[in-house]
Amino acid sequence: MVTGLGVVSGLGWGVAPFQAALRAGRTGLGAFTRFDHSGHRTHIAAQVPEPPPALAARYPRWRRLSLADRFALAAADEALAQPGLLPLSERADPSRVGVFFGSSTGGMWEGELFFADLLAGRARLALLASQPVSGPGDAVARHLGVTGPVETLSSACSSASLALGTALDALRAGEVDIAVAGGADSLCQLTYAGFNALRAVSEIPCRPFRAGREGLSIGEGAAVLLLEPLDRAVARGAVPLAELAGAGASCDAHHMTAPDPSGQGAAAAVAAALADAGMESGEIDFLNAHGTGTPLNDAAEWRAFERIFGERLKDLPLAATKANVGHLLGSAGAIEAVATVLCLTAGEVHPTPGAGAVDPDLPVQLVQGTPLALAARAAVSTNLAFGGSNAALVFSHAPVGQATTAGRDS
Amino acid sequence: MTGLGAIGSFGGGRQDLAAALLAGRPHLAAVDRAAGYHRSGGARLAALVGGYDLSPWVPAREGRRMSPPSKLALAAARMALHDSGLAGLAGEDGLPGAAVVISTSFGPASYTEGLLKQILDRPESASPFLFTESVANAPAAQIGIATGATGAGLTIAQREAGPLLTVLRGTAEIAAGRAPLALVGTVEEMTPLLHAVLDRFGALARPGDSGDSGDGTEVAAEVARPFDRRRAGFLAGDGSAVLVLEDAARAAERGCRPLARLLGGGRAFDPSAPPTGWGEGHAALARSLLGGLERAGLTPADVDLIVSGASGARAGDRLEALTLKAAWGERPLPPILAPKAVVGEYGGGFLAAAILAAAGVPFGPTAGFAEVDPELGIVPHRGGPLPAPARVLVSTLAAGGAAAWLLLGAAE
Repeated sequence: MVTGLGVVSGLGWGVAPFQAALRAGRTGLGAFTRFDHSGHRTHIAAQVPEPPPALAARYPRWRRLSLADRFALAAADEALAQPGLLPLSERADPSRVGVFFGSSTGGMWEGELFFADLLAGRARLALLASQPVSGPGDAVARHLGVTGPVETLSSACSSASLALGTALDALRAGEVDIAVAGGADSLCQLTYAGFNALRAVSEIPCRPFRAGREGLSIGEGAAVLLLEPLDRAVARGAVPLAELAGAGASCDAHHMTAPDPSGQGAAAAVAAALADAGMESGEIDFLNAHGTGTPLNDAAEWRAFERIFGERLKDLPLAATKANVGHLLGSAGAIEAVATVLCLTAGEVHPTPGAGAVDPDLPVQLVQGTPLALAARAAVSTNLAFGGSNAALVFSHAPVGQATTAGRDS
Repeated sequence: MTGLGAIGSFGGGRQDLAAALLAGRPHLAAVDRAAGYHRSGGARLAALVGGYDLSPWVPAREGRRMSPPSKLALAAARMALHDSGLAGLAGEDGLPGAAVVISTSFGPASYTEGLLKQILDRPESASPFLFTESVANAPAAQIGIATGATGAGLTIAQREAGPLLTVLRGTAEIAAGRAPLALVGTVEEMTPLLHAVLDRFGALARPGDSGDSGDGTEVAAEVARPFDRRRAGFLAGDGSAVLVLEDAARAAERGCRPLARLLGGGRAFDPSAPPTGWGEGHAALARSLLGGLERAGLTPADVDLIVSGASGARAGDRLEALTLKAAWGERPLPPILAPKAVVGEYGGGFLAAAILAAAGVPFGPTAGFAEVDPELGIVPHRGGPLPAPARVLVSTLAAGGAAAWLLLGAAE
């Protein structure tokens, strides 16, 4: 069961500003200041704003943490606070808690600052303390005092979805009672320049599944979902928000950057997630798509969905959260999972901002303008990464009698 | 575990690695210092793959658009498939449903560095090729593409614990029925920049730090000394190791004799560890280790041999020793191997050596060890024959706090 959510994004620090922007169809994409991007073709991103001073003051070593670590800690604390699990060491056995994180670049931004300094003849080693990709997950575990398993997945854009699947495995195996699962990544020059070099970035905020879409938009942030078994959550008085019912993964085995245009690999991940959840495709009521807004990704993803949902696809509501927060790379799967859970709990699917009609070659029910009221039973969230690493998650509504509608009013 | 591919400073393949382990001496090479990243007086050597010819495994034409880690990992994967007798399947028909789980600590370091130089020079000049191959999961993806493995494609980044975590994850994929077999392992590329950074953090053995090397040369004095009182750092290494994992019944069906069996394992975290080092949490780590043994139906008394991740790191070896001693309590510890003094830290030599140890391959004396640390009281293997082990504990504690263990059994 998902019993807690935490978010840091270009829309602000916390779930509340994130959910409010989702409902309003607002995007956090726009001008950004992290680094000089005047030499690039594109000039937008969804940069996380400065944190509220009171939040930063809670962490004594805040200034020594990488940006990704800061995002991760804030999101984790928010997720654990929701079901009353802070301080964790007093509320749970730390050896029965695991941290499962996804990250694509970890502390790369700080690594870039170090490298520039090094080339200029000075070395600030402190910048590298959290440079490894495992930095954000380790920082969360260290902060919470976790002594159970800690594992970071770094499979590019599917990292956090894969981390959530790893967490689900650990819960089912009885290895942990509580899983802190999510991801964190920060804006850095490497990914901004790299995606620009691939000419995969749009000059305007990304417009997934729309005609004339030109590419993705990059964001940053973190998201964390607190997972625990239903009986344990109920016994503690925690309110289940939704169930992570299944996870699936596959590899296209096709190409390093281009998705398999047939959608076969991505469909295999969705099919595996449905099988893992013990559900049929007919029980899925909406989709949260990877939806980067690149011509190739959205087309391949549509074909994958078509393989699974057939004729239903054109009537299946679909949201693409990247239009709100940009592409969070290794943490994309986590923030999109949070968006999916919020939609399930609120009984509505969030609109996907952006102008223009839906691509007629990819007929989907892209929710636009205002939230679509929908008492959904279950939803699928997908992430498709570099190298054809695909991941899919199935979230279902919390069991009857346990569900909450708190998200609707927050 | 039905196949092993390994490439490192020792060469390539089981025989080369076994010879190096028996000799008990690392194959070290000078790290290129031309870029000026290193401080004077710092570490100069590493256990590098160097000029090992990968072309029998990855033809030049195929490898042209791969980063060094991608080429290394693909070569090790093909070597492992060949070793397991599965090479023919990884051709046109591929390995449908097979999982690929590869770990890395630092990712494709040379391509990342090259890309950063381009960006700092002229951002618009960034190479799309360098970017594509700078992602951490490029090696796993290239293995998937080349072998047609369409199961989960995962990359684990958990520092020194990563290689063992890939074995646990690959096994989980098979046990859950999600994959018929798994290619698991690790890859690392030790660039001059990475080597210099590790040295600046004080992580590496340095010339003169650790006393007399035996042959009086400054270069040779750069020695890793696992568990030794004078240990002062590890030897950085690079390379790749990949294992073929498959269900025992499936292996038996095709007449394959496994190298070793996985009996169990565990993973944990020490929150007292700083981001770049090791902590003091041996008591909790020992409880986790014992929990892993218990889940496998074993106790410390059942373990015949320990393959330790001790590398010569001052705090890391201390934590390892105290954890093992806390787990074993009053019981005497079984023989301990510390192969990182031969194969270096990173690059998979440790994982490959652990598999060979479980397969009964003889090990020589622990390189660099001469003087017992009175606080640790550990004497690693001093050479000579050891009884063939029935159950082997493989232990690794990562900088930053992560820990992982494997329990390996001899092939039946």
